Amino acid sequence: METATAKSAHPVYRSRGLASETMRRLKKNKGAIIGLIFMVLLVVVTIASGFIYDYEKDIIGQNISERFKAPGLEYPFGTDQVGRNIFARVIYGARFSLAISAGAVAIGLVVGIILGSIAGFYGGLVDDIIMRINDVLYAIPNIMIAVVIVSLLGTNTFNLLLALSVSATTTVSRVARASVMTIRGQEFIEAAYAIGVPTWKIILKHIVPNCLSPIIVQTTLLIGTTIIATSSLSFLGIGVPAPAPEWGAMLSEGRDYMRSAGYICVIPGFAIMLTVLALNLLGDGLRDALDPKLKK
Amino acid sequence: MTENILEIRDLVVHYETDEGCVQAVNNINVIIGKKTILGLVGETGAGKTTTALSILNLVPNPPGIIKSGSIILNGVDVLKLPPKKMEEVRGNDVAMIFQDPMTALNPVMTIGEQIAESVMIHGERSKEKALNRAREMLEQVGIPASRSGDYPHQLSGGMRQRVVIAIALACNPKLLIADEPTTALDVTIQAQILELIKELNRKFDTSMLLITHDLGVIADVCDRVAVMYAGRIVEEGTLEEVFNDTLHPYTEGLFNSLPNLRKRGEELVPIKGMMPDPMNLPKGCAFAPRCPYTIDECTEAVPELKKIGSHLVACRRYEDKNFRLRRNS
Amino acid sequence: MIRFIIQRLLQLIPAILISSFIIFFAMNLTGGDPAMIIAGDKASAERIEQVREEYGFNDPVPVQYIRYMAGLVRGDMGISYVTNKDVFKSFMARLPATMELAFASVFFAVLLSIPLGIYTAINQNTWKDNLGMVFALFGVSMPNFWLGLILILFFSLRLGWFPSGGRSGIISVVLPAATVGLGLAALITRTTRSAMLDVIRQDYIRTAKAKGASDRAVIYKHALGNALIPIITVIGLQLANVLTGSVLAESVFAWPGIARLIFDHISKRDTPMVTGSIILCSIMMCLVNTVVDIIYAFVDPRIKAQYVRKG
Repeated sequence: METATAKSAHPVYRSRGLASETMRRLKKNKGAIIGLIFMVLLVVVTIASGFIYDYEKDIIGQNISERFKAPGLEYPFGTDQVGRNIFARVIYGARFSLAISAGAVAIGLVVGIILGSIAGFYGGLVDDIIMRINDVLYAIPNIMIAVVIVSLLGTNTFNLLLALSVSATTTVSRVARASVMTIRGQEFIEAAYAIGVPTWKIILKHIVPNCLSPIIVQTTLLIGTTIIATSSLSFLGIGVPAPAPEWGAMLSEGRDYMRSAGYICVIPGFAIMLTVLALNLLGDGLRDALDPKLKK
Repeated sequence: MTENILEIRDLVVHYETDEGCVQAVNNINVIIGKKTILGLVGETGAGKTTTALSILNLVPNPPGIIKSGSIILNGVDVLKLPPKKMEEVRGNDVAMIFQDPMTALNPVMTIGEQIAESVMIHGERSKEKALNRAREMLEQVGIPASRSGDYPHQLSGGMRQRVVIAIALACNPKLLIADEPTTALDVTIQAQILELIKELNRKFDTSMLLITHDLGVIADVCDRVAVMYAGRIVEEGTLEEVFNDTLHPYTEGLFNSLPNLRKRGEELVPIKGMMPDPMNLPKGCAFAPRCPYTIDECTEAVPELKKIGSHLVACRRYEDKNFRLRRNS
Repeated sequence: MIRFIIQRLLQLIPAILISSFIIFFAMNLTGGDPAMIIAGDKASAERIEQVREEYGFNDPVPVQYIRYMAGLVRGDMGISYVTNKDVFKSFMARLPATMELAFASVFFAVLLSIPLGIYTAINQNTWKDNLGMVFALFGVSMPNFWLGLILILFFSLRLGWFPSGGRSGIISVVLPAATVGLGLAALITRTTRSAMLDVIRQDYIRTAKAKGASDRAVIYKHALGNALIPIITVIGLQLANVLTGSVLAESVFAWPGIARLIFDHISKRDTPMVTGSIILCSIMMCLVNTVVDIIYAFVDPRIKAQYVRKG
């Protein structure tokens, strides 16, 4: 009986209602829907491109006789300095940005939620240590952190993921800590304590579900910023190495031909921007849908 | 008819939101004469504050829309005034005291500046003179003039409410609207602030619309009383008429839910149920679902405000000449 | 107030200790041999050994760190392994370029974003608001280096109005500042808008309107005054960010700034240059934060009261 009372005040018990309510509000937001459709399409198209194109031949294979073809019927986005089909490379290349960013943000989510929850839940010295380090990292521009880590540890996929996950971790742990701290003080948590629920169970069953909405929103936005960071590192030559069709790497290669063939640079940049824009639209829409108070 | 400071005629205000249309104020008529204090009583959500904001034409829009009606303030229909003219009216002809003094003052301006601002908007050119007037006003409301350089966070709640009153009265408005001016304050401070309002009202010859849910405050301050329920006035008369010869069952309910110090041990009789959803008002009398006297006719059409005996009431039960409230029988 | 500033500056010491410690050890423990870089590619084994001895690379890393910190206390930041130049002087030589770019871009951003933020807030949920927000959304979604390239493509290669890179007088800062500034503007616009929307809902805005204050006075005097704190916070953060993190804009425009200095030397394992630059950068960021905190006190009397109470 006591458990029932403790839980009846528990916001998550309306979770099904909340999820469908969120969807209903999200559907009204045109921008969010456009963003969502774009992201779904992008994932489908990039997976499909793996079946349509042969990596060795169509994506990185050179074809000097076809070089510098401007965008047209045959090549929708034109061809680059060694005659590769930019359209194929752009849609194929989406997988690098998406996979690396999703991976880095996933690492950031796991580490960030654990650190943030611990800091927020226990407070005191643990909180101080975690948050001081977090403050230092948060103050440094995230591109510089990534540059330093990759340059020091060397350029490979693991180090790239590590470097990119640092800034995701700092953001997520801040959000998680703040949510945990607000929720920790509320009465249903005290009630759960009073009836002897163990701490880890309280964190897992009561606190984590209640932090979800800000974290969902942040995740969407973080994938966007991480896509930009990934391509920035590639642009600087320390991310995904050429000839892989990562968008930033394509841009960097095209730089030398800007005067004669600007589209080689312009098109991959558009791809980055539209993807990040879609994620931002979706993130903003989710924020409004999950927290209607903010919109009014 | 120019004797009247304020005449609200057939005012309808709705809030149109995504979820639906909130019928906040439905066709009300209010008249306030010179030097009169009218008390507007009702529960939270009855539309009192919306009525008050309509007089200043400050109903937050969107979502609020003044659908129809007129508000004649000092002979001018404020709802028809262009924005520039309306700014001249606000603070000068009509001023307002708000409910929560903790949030009603701008935290980054000194209290002196905030009072002086009102003076300068309404004609004073010299900042020096405006600040002098502000210091004068502070003394009037019982705050030493030397504190005019203080910021709101340096004052207590009661003091802040005094500042809000000083801002409101700085330009000698003809009508003062006080929206639950004492609700957010401690009981001892409440009495002081009420005394202050009464005293200044007498001194400045201001008419006043006092909004409250506290019948004690009404009894203490007002000349006339209007009882509001679900966006309508259900009973209106002089203080004596409404208090001694209560006509509307809702007003009776309000009295019954008050503890009486002289009859200790007597059980309170709360009004059953809740206010109807203002998005979905019943077809008939809005109070019918909670009313102990309801008959079938009550749910058919909205009762009109009619003179029954000494004063106005909106209740169809009085069509029966022998109908009396329990309180009066 | 002065005690508050001194306190803030004292907080720098642990920050310097931590950041120098991490960077120094990371540089030394992640492989690569600075002796080979110093001695050059074709140097003999003996020569490399000689360099190791000379620079003390054979000592354990903690000993090297203590030696470095001892130098730092005396005001000696060491000499670059790569250029053989004094670290402090090399940093200072790059500082004006970085400051010029940082202030120019923040100036550009503020000029554009605060009016836009206010405009969108007072026209909330109209097409004007939506248009402004779409612009801001494009701004945050655009990769900095790409915007830089497009600006070069159009204004420099096509129209020839501005140089495409390098630092040569006031005209050369326009494109880099626009590149960095546009991204910042998007962020500041969003912050300004939401801060204004937040303030406009407050009771004291209603009080001001009830006094008869005009819309203009309500917005600029009452609302903006109260919305300034979050706006200043985001501007300060962005300024600190561009002072150290404009590596992309600096590399697109061949701008001789600090971020490029660190980026170029980090791969060459130039420990004194990188460690020294990062220490100087953290001092710079701390100064920016302190200035921001002092501005808070002038904007909000409640914050000033806090400082005075704490001493």
